[in-house]
Amino acid sequence: MEHWVYVFHILGRSVSVNMDTVLTMWFAMFCILMFAFIATRNLSVIPNKIQAACEGLMSFFWGLMDSMMPADNRKHVPLVASLFLFILFANLMGQLPLRIIHLKEGELASPTNDINMTAAMAVIVLVYYVVAGVIKKKHKFLLKDFSFVSIIMMFVDLLEMITRPLSLAIRLFANIFAGEVLVSIALAACAYFAPLPVMLFEILVAFIQATVFMMLTMAYIGGATGDEH
Amino acid sequence: MENLAQLGAGIAIGFGATGAGLGIGIATKGLMDAISRQPEIAGKAVGFFLVGAALAEACALYAFVIAFQLLAK
Repeated sequence: MEHWVYVFHILGRSVSVNMDTVLTMWFAMFCILMFAFIATRNLSVIPNKIQAACEGLMSFFWGLMDSMMPADNRKHVPLVASLFLFILFANLMGQLPLRIIHLKEGELASPTNDINMTAAMAVIVLVYYVVAGVIKKKHKFLLKDFSFVSIIMMFVDLLEMITRPLSLAIRLFANIFAGEVLVSIALAACAYFAPLPVMLFEILVAFIQATVFMMLTMAYIGGATGDEH
Repeated sequence: MENLAQLGAGIAIGFGATGAGLGIGIATKGLMDAISRQPEIAGKAVGFFLVGAALAEACALYAFVIAFQLLAK
């Protein structure tokens, strides 16, 4: 569970980096970039297998956005789709046999097994939906008018700006972390075949958590840019 | 004091798991009601149920993180 912490000094301050999750994050990014590069290399009207799979994926995202957001939703697809793909790859990477690669300290694990990673993604979502709401509604984003209900709702919205990223970050981190702990407990009980059902369950959890993160991002963006309030 | 930290971790995960278990139980009841009333929406309802169950389960995992922080001290 321990991370391989690398400390370096910059401008008189010490900055610590969890190198193990950084390495696996780069690996996940490399996988997605290679997949996207191979999928878009020979585009044609009659798609080959991988292009058909990617078109199915994109129409899945578009259908989901159409069902969650009323209008003008296609421009949010890049953020939502890349968050989903990255979280899915990162979660599934936790079930690879990464522990056979020995590090100096700590062990390689899924990138989402690090709260810094999930907190960074949650803050990106927060900034994105606030900016999207301000662009859509201009000065009426937080305070629509000066009635009593609007002022109360403004404070609720301000509170949600703290609690939404917090819950997004901790939900994803805790799910993956609990999965790692469960697998290591099963490993300690019996190293042969005992962790297998837990790992299969973790694959299900990986898909569900990626979906939950994506759906919540969509709901937040839809709530910030939608008319109803 | 270490013993008290372990006690606190146990209490935290216990109450957290209670709430999440109640939540998932109620969600499952709702899913069963919906499917028995309208069997044709089963596929769609299961998708919403999984997302809702994951949201309810997250509350137990907050308690798990708190318990782990208590034990790690």
